[in-house]
Amino acid sequence: MNVLAIDGLSKSFGTQKVIDNLSLSVPEGAIFGFIGQNGSGKTTTMKMVLGLLKADNGTIQVCGETVNYGQTKTNRHIGYLPDVPEFYNYMRPLEYLALCSEIAGLSKSETMERSDELLALVGLAGLKKRIGGFSRGMKQRLGIAQALLSHPALLICDEPTSALDPVGRKEILEILMKIKGSTTVIFSTHILSDVERICDRVAVLHNGGIAVSGTLSEIKALHGQDSLFLQFSANDEVERFIACETISPLLLGAEVNETEIALHGADMNYIQHSVIAALAQLCLCPSKMELAEPTLENLFLEVVQ
Amino acid sequence: MSGYIAFTKKEFTENIRNYRSLIMLVLFIFFGVSSPLLAKFSPQLVAAFAINIDITFAEPTALDAWAQFYKNISTLGLSLTIILFSSCLSSEYAKGTLTIMLTKGLSRKAVIMSKFSAAATITTISYWLSFGIAYGYTVHLWPDVELPHVVFAAFPVWVTVLLYLCILMLGCVLFRQAFTSILFLLVATVVMSLLGMASQFEAISPSFLVSKNVDLLSNTVTINQFAIPAITSIIISALLLILSIVTFRKKQL
Repeated sequence: MNVLAIDGLSKSFGTQKVIDNLSLSVPEGAIFGFIGQNGSGKTTTMKMVLGLLKADNGTIQVCGETVNYGQTKTNRHIGYLPDVPEFYNYMRPLEYLALCSEIAGLSKSETMERSDELLALVGLAGLKKRIGGFSRGMKQRLGIAQALLSHPALLICDEPTSALDPVGRKEILEILMKIKGSTTVIFSTHILSDVERICDRVAVLHNGGIAVSGTLSEIKALHGQDSLFLQFSANDEVERFIACETISPLLLGAEVNETEIALHGADMNYIQHSVIAALAQLCLCPSKMELAEPTLENLFLEVVQ
Repeated sequence: MSGYIAFTKKEFTENIRNYRSLIMLVLFIFFGVSSPLLAKFSPQLVAAFAINIDITFAEPTALDAWAQFYKNISTLGLSLTIILFSSCLSSEYAKGTLTIMLTKGLSRKAVIMSKFSAAATITTISYWLSFGIAYGYTVHLWPDVELPHVVFAAFPVWVTVLLYLCILMLGCVLFRQAFTSILFLLVATVVMSLLGMASQFEAISPSFLVSKNVDLLSNTVTINQFAIPAITSIIISALLLILSIVTFRKKQL
């Protein structure tokens, strides 16, 4: 079942079309990476899912219920972590969670139990100081705690790691890994290494629509090629290597740069065999030989260019 | 409903922790204390400061004390109340604190109603406390004077203060900045007083409530004359609140 289904969504601000006929579905249990450049419309899309912004066209369904702008009914299925979560500075973490639970309609005992459990999960247990004195990373962690309060089916995190230092980022990613399975997560970001670390499905938002989507391996298989990278110690070695009969058919699309050469192709096994045979035949020893998988970064650049 | 109760509790906590309630109480207690005292002792004060000038004052009366009290409340008191509460929504917009609350399922109606309830309660407590103090001092300073309708005369001003809070709520919903909300309220005040000046509206306009309430004490107007302006004022307040909620529902956050 799809926790989130977006169909034909469009949104303009003035004359600028930010989202153009976007369709997307997020299956239950996934950690879904929503990738895009700054200003590509990730936050806008998320705010429309939350009913905070009005869509010009299209429908959004959360757990099978249609989202209506200005209404908050479907939000009971959603936990939301804004990119820079802001709280009431004069409150303490437990007071804030109590306020959130009361609004969400949790009972007193449930609130106590859930608050303790979540503050422990995000590493803020026993902290008595007011939120005004929190660091950005602490606010982000409290943000996750409030988002998970009412056991949401869907957790939407808007760039949860973008503003954090490496330690803070690692902590947030670990928390998200911990809740994997119990909650479906949509995770928007432009930090691709974060996506590779925790997401199982991704969609790349570009020019207002989804440019690519699927599981991480599907996308890599479809859109990027493996490559074999060789480095020699001298230029003439490269020339001899290129001139070899076995190698010349593989040179289509290859990149040669002084002592380095990168070969691309779908059948890496065949390329590797040919290269090793050629090296043996020419009595050449490369100083470096490396098999490179397509990175999400290359893929991303390929899509957005 | 649970959202409204929770958010109203939060509003009270906020108003206590950011000292808004305290400032309101101190201000209004000050007006309650100072108005009768100033009225009673201003001839002596002026005489003490202006030794060389020979001025004769009429003996101050309890009526002067009440006139002073309502003047203070309806000008300075009202302005400061408005300024204090003008940031009640703008700070939430600016910081984005409402986003999480709304995504938790809090209705937009509850946001407006909670903000209004808290502001109205704090203002009401401050106002009636101020009135009680002014009443005590006036009775103490002019023990033999019996004025008519003393308590009733306080109601029209209270109704007006609540009306102003409703105008402010709409201003806060319409504009993102506190300053613009105050400007909106100023424009509304000018419009109301212009309408109040027109002879055909004078008897029904809310401005009658503050301009004529002291006259109750001198028996130059009757209680009945306040009925229609008060009803008008309450209806306008209710409409303003409804309009605020409807507008807020459409607001992109």
